[in-house]
Amino acid sequence: MAGDMKRIPELEQEKYDSDEQVKIICLGDSAVGKSKLMERFLMDGYRPQQLSTYALTLYKYSTTINGKSVLVDFWDTAGQERFQSMHPSYYHKAHACIMVFDVQRKVTYKNLSNWYKELREYRPEIPCLVVANKIDADMRVTQKSFNFAKKQGLPFYFVSAADGTNVVKVFKDAINMALSYKKNSSDFMDVVMRELENFDLEGKEESADEDEEEGRAD
Amino acid sequence: MPIIAKRCGIKFDPPSVILIYEDEHTNKLRKRVIPVRSFSQFSDCSRAAERLKHHSRHGHYLDSVSLEQLVRLHTVLRDHLRGLSVEESLREQRHSHTHDDDLNKLSDEELNRRKAEMDVLFELNRRHKDDPDFVYDLEVEFPENSVRETCSWDHSDEEF
Repeated sequence: MAGDMKRIPELEQEKYDSDEQVKIICLGDSAVGKSKLMERFLMDGYRPQQLSTYALTLYKYSTTINGKSVLVDFWDTAGQERFQSMHPSYYHKAHACIMVFDVQRKVTYKNLSNWYKELREYRPEIPCLVVANKIDADMRVTQKSFNFAKKQGLPFYFVSAADGTNVVKVFKDAINMALSYKKNSSDFMDVVMRELENFDLEGKEESADEDEEEGRAD
Repeated sequence: MPIIAKRCGIKFDPPSVILIYEDEHTNKLRKRVIPVRSFSQFSDCSRAAERLKHHSRHGHYLDSVSLEQLVRLHTVLRDHLRGLSVEESLREQRHSHTHDDDLNKLSDEELNRRKAEMDVLFELNRRHKDDPDFVYDLEVEFPENSVRETCSWDHSDEEF
């Protein structure tokens, strides 16, 4: 599986192994408001790093948790189907996932199961938060229950990027969950993946990065 | 003069399109108020939008504003003249095209158009950090109780 991993040359992902760095991915259909949520959390004036070739926007955030400084990379991903091939690099080494749908569009809710299934293929145990965005459009939705999260045993949040309801809470919770996952991860896959990455002899790509890795594995 | 449109909205009284743009030479933000003339509750919004887009004096300011957005703004104005609130107008406009398109399949251009449509409501409901009642970490609890009704989206055919 590691051999299929798409590499993003501009982004060194090894850093996510260090204690003080976490990676949180934002998933969901196009136009559910992922970027708007990021912007609301970080407030305006923030300039993210755009990697348009990879349909990815990177938001860096630093904070202090229990007296320790923590660097968080938020990976804001594109929902469009033509970027499907990029998905493995999104999931790679992620410590938590914020999965968003639009309460105004049923299809985005129905698609959660596809996003979730794919997420679990790559990251079977990372914390995943389900976010129902755009509640400002029709507050009545908050009277209803959405069973997807309950069924999968995932935390669920009603939020609005426009008026700010619960946005900061989601991100704070996600950071805390990512950190505790990282600290306590007994995820067998994490260990296996680490081993596989050091043993990446059959990497299909021929980039310089890959050559270096092969040399090391020898 | 190169114009970078930043935001475009509508004002009811007097009826006008408001454009916030950046003058690329001076990097200054400017506001332009473009009056909407001879427009009534019976007017054709597409035509009025086109007329504005090709207006001899104002037209080039609106180069980077999509015709679709101008049509929508005119529709809000027309609905206002018909006695509808902004919310009602937007709701009607939203319902006028199907809600269950899979936007993951759209081209960038088409997707951006749909996002621009959604932005109208976003901006309307948006709390800015300069608003007096702005709260950065706004937490609202929506308590789960037994009377909570299951969303109809969960009833249909396929299971998770």
